[in-house]
Amino acid sequence: MAGEIRLPDIGDFKDVPIIEIHVKPGQSVAKEDVLMTLESDKATVEVPAPEAGIIGEIKVKVGDKVSQGALLATWASGGAANAPAPAGQPAAAPVTTPAAPAAAPRPAAEPTTRADFECDVLVLGAGPGGYSAAFRAADLGVSVVLVDRMPTLGGVCLNVGCIPSKALLHAAKVIDEAAEMSEHGLVFAPPKIELDALRNWKERVVKRLTTGLTGLARQRKVTVLTGEGAFTSPHTLAVRAPEGDRAVRFNCAIIAAGSEPAAPSFIPRDSRIWDSTAALELRSIPKRLLVLGGGVIGLEMATVYSALGSKITVIEMMDQLMPGADRDIVAPFAKRVEKRYEKVLLETKVTWVEALAGSVKVAWEGKAGSGEDVFDAMLVSVGRRPNGGAIGAEAAGVAVDGRGFIVVDRQMRTNVSHIFAIGDIVGQPMLAHKAAHEGRVAAEAASGHKSSFDAKAIPAVAYTDPEVAWVGVTETEAKAKGLAYGKAVFPWAASGRSLSLGRDEGLTKTLWDEASGRLIGCGIVGPNAGDLISEAALAIEMGCDAEDIGLTIHPHPTLSETFAMSAEAFAGTLIDLYMPKKKG
Amino acid sequence: MAKIEVKVPDIGDFKDVPIIEILVKPGDSVTVEQPLLTLESDKATLEVPAPSAGVVASIVAKVGDKVSMGTLLLTLEAEAGAPVAAAPPAPKAEAAPPPAAPAGPAIAVARDVAPDPAKPAAARASTMAVDFSGVFAGPAARRLARELDIDLTTLQGTGDKGRITVADIKIAARGGGGGAGLPEVPTVDFAKFGPIETVPLSRIKRISGPRLHASWVNIPHVTHSDDADITELEAFRKSLDDAAKADKTAPYRVSLLPLLMKASVATLKAFPAFNSALSPAKDALIYRHYWHIGVAVDTPDGLVVAVVKDVDKKGVVELARELGALSAKARDGKLAPTEMQGATFTISSLGGIGGTAFTPIVNAPEVAILGVVRSRMAPVWDGKAFQPRLMLPLCLSYDHRVIDGAAAARFVRRLCDTATDMRLVLL
Repeated sequence: MAGEIRLPDIGDFKDVPIIEIHVKPGQSVAKEDVLMTLESDKATVEVPAPEAGIIGEIKVKVGDKVSQGALLATWASGGAANAPAPAGQPAAAPVTTPAAPAAAPRPAAEPTTRADFECDVLVLGAGPGGYSAAFRAADLGVSVVLVDRMPTLGGVCLNVGCIPSKALLHAAKVIDEAAEMSEHGLVFAPPKIELDALRNWKERVVKRLTTGLTGLARQRKVTVLTGEGAFTSPHTLAVRAPEGDRAVRFNCAIIAAGSEPAAPSFIPRDSRIWDSTAALELRSIPKRLLVLGGGVIGLEMATVYSALGSKITVIEMMDQLMPGADRDIVAPFAKRVEKRYEKVLLETKVTWVEALAGSVKVAWEGKAGSGEDVFDAMLVSVGRRPNGGAIGAEAAGVAVDGRGFIVVDRQMRTNVSHIFAIGDIVGQPMLAHKAAHEGRVAAEAASGHKSSFDAKAIPAVAYTDPEVAWVGVTETEAKAKGLAYGKAVFPWAASGRSLSLGRDEGLTKTLWDEASGRLIGCGIVGPNAGDLISEAALAIEMGCDAEDIGLTIHPHPTLSETFAMSAEAFAGTLIDLYMPKKKG
Repeated sequence: MAKIEVKVPDIGDFKDVPIIEILVKPGDSVTVEQPLLTLESDKATLEVPAPSAGVVASIVAKVGDKVSMGTLLLTLEAEAGAPVAAAPPAPKAEAAPPPAAPAGPAIAVARDVAPDPAKPAAARASTMAVDFSGVFAGPAARRLARELDIDLTTLQGTGDKGRITVADIKIAARGGGGGAGLPEVPTVDFAKFGPIETVPLSRIKRISGPRLHASWVNIPHVTHSDDADITELEAFRKSLDDAAKADKTAPYRVSLLPLLMKASVATLKAFPAFNSALSPAKDALIYRHYWHIGVAVDTPDGLVVAVVKDVDKKGVVELARELGALSAKARDGKLAPTEMQGATFTISSLGGIGGTAFTPIVNAPEVAILGVVRSRMAPVWDGKAFQPRLMLPLCLSYDHRVIDGAAAARFVRRLCDTATDMRLVLL
């Protein structure tokens, strides 16, 4: 058939592995353009295009072993050739229902009604994990249906999470920096805050991104369905929407249904008691705001409302703010907010909340004694709960644990081999970039590729002021695991760039494997720590040692220099500070 | 009912040895000494036997795990009365095509596999389960390894500081070899010329092959030959052997080998460099103040080197008995790893078969190996007439980085003299 590209006679070779594919579906090629590279034990062989044309589908992948005559790809020829054949599957053989052991639910029988949509890969949830999975799968040439309950793509991250909070944090930064310069000879009048305009700006930022995503989905021919998705069998999903239910039949599914804010049950429902979504709505600027939960989300919102003029009280159950990050990295941040906020109560639990007519009354008990107070609003940011219980997982036979998490393997595969799960719903850390990476792995695995989650480190960032960021092993973790590690800390008080920003509290801490000398962890606190942490993540992934980093020329004066200087401090070659050698 | 924890036994000087096979599954009844799992070090494979009869309760280890002495592998329910039926195996549904499966491009995944709650479905896939987090390779290299099904934890990187590069992975994907950028031997389609049969190499050959290759390409080999007059030594051996055969309690045999071992140790003591090893940095010699002699044993599955410890402290009779026992163990594949380690010098004897000379490959990191072929009666000029003397050709291959030709010639001559007059051993 003229529409196929097959492996020509390449001599006396059989089962030669493909080591590289140079073209993509939809790419136009000239005659003799190299399509793929094969590598036998004798030679590298390039497969040229037999004629000019547009590549339709690639039928092989890197690692496949091919012989003469193997089908490599097809030409895109008007699309007529790709029309699906009518459903001509043999009549249903009786489905044997396995006597499922306790933890795995017994999957429901497949409905006999016709599906409204059919696809190779169904993705449930259009957050950063879900849309990454959907787009990657589409780019690999399979048909994709993407289901989300929100009409806009992007999930929590884009709509009510990372992105809107960053817009508001930028506003907060402008206010704070303007105020701080008054001590240095640049005096501004206090800002006039127009809440509606600020909210509109934030929403425009979000809209621009979500619109962009919609365009990307359209360009990739990903079918987007809006409604609550719930599995009805291991191969079908119902999308429930006010305008009517639709049924999707899929070969593979990727569950990316995310998480939602958790709240203790004793807290009443009230318009002044917010979750993170409500806090981002900028309904008002409370005079006094209680932030329950001193994790990243709560502290970011505290940063915003503090700049907007609220007096902040933070109550945290653990013995430090931002539990999970190293105490020494959090300390400069904690010191700054303790001065700016009304109260920071650690090792303290809220015991009672009551919505009064003009305020919210809250009582607490803790290390520093018990107390009670009234606030104009309260933000509950005590963590997020995975949505594993809300997607009909049992009908698909997918096991969900008691807390709502789905257990997956390195390929993001659940206990049902054609159903994958990614992102918040498979466990901590609940971070968009982790979900996006997992989404790609799942999409590739679902498309038959040998892909696996092999990242060595997942960076975490708190966009507070100062920013706090960490990646790889924390020192707390290294100690708990008994790792043999070395450590170096570079204080930003010795960074010209930091001082010229009017700040000197930052730190860059690096942790090193004693045996190999390679970087295993990094913690940074200070302005822009979130951007600086990427270099450490790359260094961990590449297995860099202190010399590799110290000998890389970093531009001066920058904050990025502090990472190199921390490496030099570990290597004993730092000249920007005097650090007498500890040993030999 | 007693629970027994099965741990890795003393396997000699090995650490982090990978498990290559698990031979039992939970619920299996095992008898005492039944092999439970197989470990494979770079030198040998080792089966871990059941310490007692019982039923496998749970398996902690998995294929690919690296274990050392004392690592917990599995637990057994010791037999006490009726064997307990363990949890029934997870049911496996037969794959049944779903009703009215969708048309369109099929996607390469298994359909309708019975859910197994215990573990995610793909954990069964080969190298997918292997953790690459401790591996010194960049993200792109790790990804390629996944695609090509290469277990990076078993790969030695050739990059800077041992980094595993993309090139290393591609070489491994082609079946390894040629790692030093050596040109590959061309492959031939033998079936084109006549009928063929492909038989996999024995495990011993698969393990010893790369080691022999490493010695061959890393060591500049020279082989030096000389003849020893063993007329008197052979007469002495015969008398020992007759006595040995006549031993009432445990008859044994005395070959030439224990005598050559004693002669070798006496010579090694006079030339300590031949008992040394080159330091890993190749800038120093490590002299060993012990004399453990490796003996190449021909087994049905291939060549194995058994090690006789402290030859200097043992007499010929003791050595003869020990050699008999070790060879029997080697042929049955029952040599313990400790019985294959620690040699300082090796002897490879083909005397029982024939030959006039050969070039043995040095058993690195040793620096010399003695090849022995068949002795023959030869006319030897004694100054007045040709005398019939029993002559034994000795071939010493040595590492020229450590040993010079003149030293080798002196060593072999001294060895020949010692074989001719074993009284020299006493000196």
